Parts: sequence; structure tokens; C-alpha cells
Amino acid sequence: MDNEVYSFALKNTLNEIQNVCPDIKNSFMFKKDGQIIARDENTPEDVVVRVIDSFDGILDKADAIGGVEGIVLEGSKGKANISCMNDLYLVTVTSKKADMNYVTTVTRVLIPTILRLLEKIHHAPLKSNTPPIKTEIPVTEELEEQEETPIEETMEESEESLEAKTLLTDLPVNQLIVENLGGLLVPSDTVRIDSEILSQWEEVYDGAKIEQTEVETFYGKTTICKVKPIKDSKYAGKGIIRTPEKIQLNLEIKKGELVRVKPVFS
Amino acid sequence: MGKKKKTVQKVAAATEPLAVEESCVNSSRASLEEIETYDGVIGYILRNSASATIDIKDPTKIIDYAILSSSALDAGEVLSENFDLGTVKSIIVEGKDAKVISLTVNENKISVFMNKEANCEKVLRKLRSL
Repeated sequence: MDNEVYSFALKNTLNEIQNVCPDIKNSFMFKKDGQIIARDENTPEDVVVRVIDSFDGILDKADAIGGVEGIVLEGSKGKANISCMNDLYLVTVTSKKADMNYVTTVTRVLIPTILRLLEKIHHAPLKSNTPPIKTEIPVTEELEEQEETPIEETMEESEESLEAKTLLTDLPVNQLIVENLGGLLVPSDTVRIDSEILSQWEEVYDGAKIEQTEVETFYGKTTICKVKPIKDSKYAGKGIIRTPEKIQLNLEIKKGELVRVKPVFS
Repeated sequence: MGKKKKTVQKVAAATEPLAVEESCVNSSRASLEEIETYDGVIGYILRNSASATIDIKDPTKIIDYAILSSSALDAGEVLSENFDLGTVKSIIVEGKDAKVISLTVNENKISVFMNKEANCEKVLRKLRSL
């Protein structure tokens, strides 16, 4: 699965956990190799890096105690808890008065559930770039079976409409993360996505030029706008859609949110 | 089955520790020896700027345990500094087979190693009474 989507889902989970347990001040997740997987919005990246570095010695020598399952630190002003979940480490920092049973219950239920969910989604790919399913064959077979009854004209008509429906319903849909697009010469009606996605769309439709896209939010708001490939290489291949402020305002979305994007044929 | 040989290593600094410090270390050591008799406790490390005492039942793990103990205390300090957790009272590292409680008492850095099933709270109470 796209790492950004994975991190995005986990980051939101961490933020939600903090809403449920206000006693959690900071939380983040990392891999044994030190890679940060997700962090809440209150925890700066440099702090996370420093803390992860400090765990190196423990994690290196943890084999002596059978590998780290958890670390609990009790300070005079608060507590920190590090727990191992599915090869990831979750760090939660709580206030002194936090009900650790509650915090532990919430984190140990929610995080593994989200991780399992993400694993399941991983098997059902987010990017459905597969070409439209050709329903013509079964339709023809079905029609052949009933060839005596329908009139030929009706058959032709229904085949055409089915073909059109297939084209509309099976358009490739991609889920992308919103990234800001600004600047003096930036047109406010054009989004930018990976050229690879555009090529895939064009391939699916026999090289037809895709100039417009439909952007749909998870709250059901949609807009059709012009689409062009991402120029800046630092944004390429990251599963993002660079979106001008005007479109973000129209759709009531902001940077970091997920949207569904599909091609539009003019 | 042969009884496991107990390994006690003492590392003394060149300078003689102050009498007060020495008495504090002796008192801590006495308590740790008592803790060692608790069910599931497999050893301890006591160190300060002048000396160190390591008493671990399995001598092959001395180095790993020593690094783990030191790393746990250091990580505790980093966590506390970065998240404003105040003075570190204790840090417990729990593994699949064993766990270690580390804390600092009067300049003495103490780590007690025990089996996973051992009563952590009892050990912690005793250590905090030092």
C-alpha cells in the first residue's frame, strides 16, 4: 500500500485517540529500523527522531530479554509507554494523572484494529487502474440464448446502452492525497497529478487525451476541473494531487486529506 | 542439573569513594541482595560514578544486560527531557522472556532483571524505599 496513505490513516487514528483520551499528550509510531510511521500533530518530527535514536541501545540488546514487548517510564510529571504492535512501536506520552488502564485499552484495541484494516485494504488495492470489465461477452451470450424473442433493433439498442454504462461506471478511480498548489502563474482551475496516472488513464482508453478530471471528497462533494501532470519531481510518485486553493475551498478540503480522482472525457 | 554459578563483579574506581557514598552503596547493595531472593529475580546491576556491582545468574548475558541497563536509563532521560516528564522515577523494559526495572537512587543507577512472571511491583516498592 502507498506508505503515505498508510501513515495518513495512522496519523488520523493517533489524533482521534487523543480526542478520546485527552490525557495523551503525544503519540507516534515507528519501525524497529527507526523509520517514523506516523505521529500526531502535537509532536514535532525532530523530537520524535531524538527519542527514536535514544531507543537504539535498548532495541539492539533486547534479544537478551527476548525482544522488547513494552517499555514503561514513570516520571514525576508524566508517563511514557512504548508498546510493540505488529512489528511497530507505539509511543504514548501521558499526563501524571492519566488512567493508564483506559489509555492502554484504547490504544491496544484501536491501533491493532486499524493495522488489520489497513492490511485488508492492502489486499484490495486503493488504485483501481484495471481496465473496464468488458460486459459485452456475457450480454451477447445472454442475448443469444433468447434470440427468438427480442426484436433485432432492441438488441442493438440495449447493447449500445450497456456499453455506454460500462464506460461510465468502470472509469479508473484513484485515491490521492491533497497537496497545496500555489504561485503567481498557477491557474486556479487546474489540478496536477502524477503523469504516470494520466498515462494509465490514457492507456485504458486507447490513448484518448485526458484533459479533465472529477475530484470527489469523502463527504460526497465533487468538482470537474482541468488536469495536468505534476512538474515538480519532489511530488512525483507520491500519490498526491496538487490542488489550487480555490478548488480546495470549493470542495471544503485541505492538505493531507484523501480524495477520489477519475478521468473525464469531454 | 548443576547449580548455576553466580557471578559477582565489582569494579572499583582509583579514587576512594566518600564514606557517605560508600554507606549508601552498601545499603543499596544489601537491599538488592534481598531483592535477589525474590521469586523470578535473575540479577542486578548497581553502578555510580565510582564503582559498579554486577550480579547476574547467567554470566553470558552480563554485557548485554549492562548495555540494556545503561541504554534504558539514558533513553529514560531523553524521553523525560523531550516530553517534560520530570524526574525519572523508573523505567521498565519488558521483553518476551524477561524484564528489567531501572531507576536512579541517590546517584546510584540500579537495574534489576527478572523473569517475565516475577512481581515487578514488589521489587519497585523495595527499590523506592532505598
